[in-house]
Amino acid sequence: MTELTIGISGINAIDNPGPGVGIARSLKEDPDLSVKTIGFSYDALEPGMYMDWLIDRAFILPYPSGESEGYLERLHQIQTSCGLDMVIPNLDVELPLYIKYQDTLAQQGIKTFLPSLEQFRLRGKDRLDAMADLMGIGCPQTEIVGSSEELTRAVDKIGLPVMIKGLYYKANRAYTMQEAHANYTEIVSEWGYPVIVQQVVTGEEMNVVGVGDGQGHSLGLVGIKKLSVTALGKIWNGVTVKHSGMLNAARKFVEQTEWRGGYELECLVDGDEIILIEINPRLPAWSYFATGVGVNLPGQLVRKAFDLPVTASLDYEAGKMFIRYTYELVTDMARFQNISMRGEI
Amino acid sequence: MGHLQQLALSDDGFVFDPTSGQSFTVSDTGLLILKELKQGRTTDQIAQSLVELYEVDPDEARQDTLDFVMHLKSHRLMKEA
Repeated sequence: MTELTIGISGINAIDNPGPGVGIARSLKEDPDLSVKTIGFSYDALEPGMYMDWLIDRAFILPYPSGESEGYLERLHQIQTSCGLDMVIPNLDVELPLYIKYQDTLAQQGIKTFLPSLEQFRLRGKDRLDAMADLMGIGCPQTEIVGSSEELTRAVDKIGLPVMIKGLYYKANRAYTMQEAHANYTEIVSEWGYPVIVQQVVTGEEMNVVGVGDGQGHSLGLVGIKKLSVTALGKIWNGVTVKHSGMLNAARKFVEQTEWRGGYELECLVDGDEIILIEINPRLPAWSYFATGVGVNLPGQLVRKAFDLPVTASLDYEAGKMFIRYTYELVTDMARFQNISMRGEI
Repeated sequence: MGHLQQLALSDDGFVFDPTSGQSFTVSDTGLLILKELKQGRTTDQIAQSLVELYEVDPDEARQDTLDFVMHLKSHRLMKEA
């Protein structure tokens, strides 16, 4: 089995965890793959950099929102230093850069398995209603705003309470117009324009994680119900479910968009009614849950990227639980020193 | 029938609905009613089982069964007839 060297970002296993550590764990546990994991980090204290049983090497990278030349140059340096056959970018802010340069990277021998720019835009929060139609499910009334006046009009149109969301991150509930404006200002200052104003809908919080092969076929998917979330809204406990309506909607999403790569659907479910809240164009932080129940999605993604035979008809049982926990890792200061001084470990 | 056929029942009365992810606990009587409903038995037949097992009044057994069925419907585990 040839060893593959794979760069994985989002190794910030903190209270708002990135997906990277779970993806590295999934790849290490895949019996058909031999993977050397390279952690990509933006901060010397990202826990994944210290988890040497999952992350073999780790490097600090410049922020992807800056000059792309510097970022691509860093990837080239990493490739020269320890080899780099593939990158699995896991943070929303990185995706536009990786999608844009996926052909350039491929020419340098660095594979990715990502959606096209058009697919990436299709699943944006500002196109949610069209995607929900395509999948045959509902979605909350949504308005896109870029000024205080537009915000007032949108809140009047939708009616209070409303959700105020950034294009990539952050979502706050507002019960009054004043609260809506305060949330709007906070999100604009942190994440910029536009801002999404969305109707508040109720139901059980259920999600689907999956991978599409880029030709309309699903390479595996798992549905879960959130049992508890943190103050930041991140899942802490969950249980696998088999809600056929929601799973069929996910299959339709993959089929209709010919989705390529990982994705997560966030839904609210009330009986047979399914409301689409968000589509994330990547694997989520809880991806290891799927691996733990027998659906190794990162493994499938890597196999597809390298034209290796994918595992057919992966299935899972409903009623499997996921319990996240905290853990203290004790290490030597030298590790932090190396990361801080040399930007790698 | 709703989700009734898919419900996972454990002998200690823990019930898991694999469609909604919800879990419930039921008494021994509730568990017996659920098991018999899954087997396709009618409420009258289930009430007769309760009478034989617990030596209760037939009218009371029938009412208890109907009340339990109402609960299942309110949790969308059974569809309205």
